[in-house]
Amino acid sequence: MTLLEERPPERYEAPERRLTEVIPAPKNKGILAYLTSTDHKQIGINYMVTSFTMFLIAGAMAILMRVQLAVPNNNFVSLTTYNELFTIHGTIMLFLFLGPFAFGTANYLVPIQVGAPDMAFPRFNAFSYWLFLGGCITLLSSFLTSSGAAQWGWFAYAPLTEWIHSPGPGGDLWIVGVALAAFSSMFTGINLITTVFCLRAPGMVMFRMPIFTWNQLVTAFLVLLAFPVLSADLALLWADRHLGTNFFNPARGGQPILWQDLFWFFGHPEVYILALPFFGMATEIISTFSRKPVFGYKGMVFATLSIGGLSMGVWAHHMYTTGAVLLPFFTIMTLLISVPTGIKFFNWIGTMFRGSVRLDSPMLFCLGFLVCFLLGGFTGIMLALPPLDFQLHDTYFVVAHFHYVLFGGSVFAAFGAIHYWFPKFTGKKLDERLAKITFVIMFIGFNLCFFPQHDLGLRGMQRRIATYPSSAGWSFLNMISSIGAFILAFSMLPFLINVWETLRKGKKVGPNPWDGMTLEWVTESPPIPHNFEFIPPIRSERPVWDLNHPDHPTLPHGKHAREMARERREAAMAGVGAGGALGGSATGPATDGDGHVNGHGNGDSPGDGNGSNTPGDGGDGFGGGSP
Amino acid sequence: MWVPVPRPLLALVVHWGSPNGVTEQSNQVYQLWNLVYWISIPLGAIVIGLIVWCAFRYRERRGEERIPPQVQYHLPLEWFYTIVPLILVSVLFYYTYKAEDKEDNVAPNPSLVVRVDAFQWGWRFSYPNGYQVLGSVSAEPSINDTNLPVLTLPAGETVQINLFSDDVNHSFYVPAFLFKRDAIQGINNSFDLNIDNSVAGQRFIGECTQFCGTYHPFMRFWVQVMAKNQFNTWLASRHGLSTNVSIG
Repeated sequence: MTLLEERPPERYEAPERRLTEVIPAPKNKGILAYLTSTDHKQIGINYMVTSFTMFLIAGAMAILMRVQLAVPNNNFVSLTTYNELFTIHGTIMLFLFLGPFAFGTANYLVPIQVGAPDMAFPRFNAFSYWLFLGGCITLLSSFLTSSGAAQWGWFAYAPLTEWIHSPGPGGDLWIVGVALAAFSSMFTGINLITTVFCLRAPGMVMFRMPIFTWNQLVTAFLVLLAFPVLSADLALLWADRHLGTNFFNPARGGQPILWQDLFWFFGHPEVYILALPFFGMATEIISTFSRKPVFGYKGMVFATLSIGGLSMGVWAHHMYTTGAVLLPFFTIMTLLISVPTGIKFFNWIGTMFRGSVRLDSPMLFCLGFLVCFLLGGFTGIMLALPPLDFQLHDTYFVVAHFHYVLFGGSVFAAFGAIHYWFPKFTGKKLDERLAKITFVIMFIGFNLCFFPQHDLGLRGMQRRIATYPSSAGWSFLNMISSIGAFILAFSMLPFLINVWETLRKGKKVGPNPWDGMTLEWVTESPPIPHNFEFIPPIRSERPVWDLNHPDHPTLPHGKHAREMARERREAAMAGVGAGGALGGSATGPATDGDGHVNGHGNGDSPGDGNGSNTPGDGGDGFGGGSP
Repeated sequence: MWVPVPRPLLALVVHWGSPNGVTEQSNQVYQLWNLVYWISIPLGAIVIGLIVWCAFRYRERRGEERIPPQVQYHLPLEWFYTIVPLILVSVLFYYTYKAEDKEDNVAPNPSLVVRVDAFQWGWRFSYPNGYQVLGSVSAEPSINDTNLPVLTLPAGETVQINLFSDDVNHSFYVPAFLFKRDAIQGINNSFDLNIDNSVAGQRFIGECTQFCGTYHPFMRFWVQVMAKNQFNTWLASRHGLSTNVSIG
């Protein structure tokens, strides 16, 4: 008591290292909060809700397609409607659902995970969201034009996209909608990179950032490398359609293959933009629900970095069958990506190994993610081999492959993330029973829907056909697939009921219902406007675990482990006992009965943990309570 | 090369309804499938097994509160699962390269060169003696129609296909050849087919696999394989003629 009072008060001042400062603004409620907010949490929610709505819309389109394909020679929708449906389904899922959903979680969580009060550029952030929303509305409005929506698939190969082959404003609205989403993504990327580089709390060095934040950072760099190319590509296409240029028009010397090169130069990094954030979510969830640190944390970071790097050099594996690319180069680059991806898999398994695995709903979704994504990865390796790709390219095998990657992988992880962070977003925990029902129906429906499509592809069913002959031998598998699609769609029902009921009458849970390890779990649920009243000392990549479980620090390994064992032996021989050498964990902040820190009361404690396992440069929490 | 799998077993586990390749080139594809399955099925079983085993073996029972040892690194293990995949990938790449080299090889002196033009929506097959088959989609086509343009090819010979597009991108795909190639304006694509003698007299379906607009699903054709002698007689009888087919 007296000791604390004698300390000079300056020691507890937060260092002035912020780029942004918190200016209390009038607090709007309801729709006005949604419309005007520059708070990263509100914008994050906006992103997630909007993109999830787009997911439901595009999912409904998928159901229409599966009805059409359930039986051969069907006339449920017309040829042109079917072509519109698969084009807009793919475009929404890739540009307006998965990416923006990942950015929504990044918006909400990255600033909190690095201990920042907001994103680096809050107004710019709001602007990104409004561009994205504009993109959604623009794209959907193309259904209202007289010529209908675009009918050229989500990768819009020239010269089908030229005005003479696809006249009408539907295509133009597609170009503008995608361009708006592209600019939104780029701006978010800039914002995220700046936030991570400039707004980390004291002690939060790069190698103490959670894997989720690391993956979002690498994703943001990929966005900055890939999306400008897409925007340029779209601009060229627009010029071809309206300004009389001939970039992709072979009749006047243009090169249709140029579109493919530019598009996939964007398109392949894009695939990882749609995967890496979800890997990050899965990593956090698996670690929390195994009650262990991420196994091979640094290896995980390097794996993410090398996936990001390699993904810039593999674009032409989408173009093997064009006969215009150097096959061996793109083959080896693509195969190499499987190595860091494999490392991630073994790290995930290593995290669970000898852990204490709680099979709550977020973890179940992550197990679904692991199994489905593994299958998608294997079929990816098959498609990376040109001779197999010559057989399988543009067949339903490819459709099955990327749904296993993007739905089985990313969407399962996204649902895991929704269930995991829902208490943080809203203060209320989703009902476990309904959540498990959601998972089971979704897992069965997904596999029933997409596994048969591998077989359809091997049997020669090409993708993007609105109808198929009765004699082709594809009828049975298509029917199975359609039934699966209905089950999959049905799984949204328990989920939506769960969200609705929980929001209406869910019970409040504390700041840390899952015993989470990263900084978002130390603040209120939902967090206060500037996120933190108190930040624990950051001495590892899981400061909240260190705070709540001071007796269970990460074990040393290799040389350090041997050194410590020797020190302990020597200390024991000297008669001191083992306690002193292993110290450091003994002086944690006061905890309440459940082992959770009670936030405000103990602002005096940051800085006094003399962790011997990591050098203690994270001593100063910012904005600590008054001593 | 690698361990051959008993054929019936392979057909059960591996084939999944995929057609048997009927060209010399498709043999390469088949052997590569063989290798890929030998690597990926055990590997997949191991990884999925580990995932399921970890989740089951180390699951937390109801009411149990247990904090496991906080192990984070094991460098030898991490190196192990970095290097083993690298080796597997190198092996895979070596065999892929060999297979691809053979499959893509275009012989300098083919015994027959056929020009294939794809267009919205149909096919034009042109033989060296001027015989031409033109099949285009009718105004209101039916997908069950079997009256399709026929690409007649000899068995046991090296046939070179030169592939062109009149307008948008198309793709020439014959599932039984386990092969496709895109038709894109500005790119001259050529490939060889050596069809097995054993399938002379048989007919295979061909498709367009690159989305090319409204009637994309209807761009189908037949590949009719003929024994060499029969083919030569047939082709001579077609000198200067042309066949028009309306699909559907």
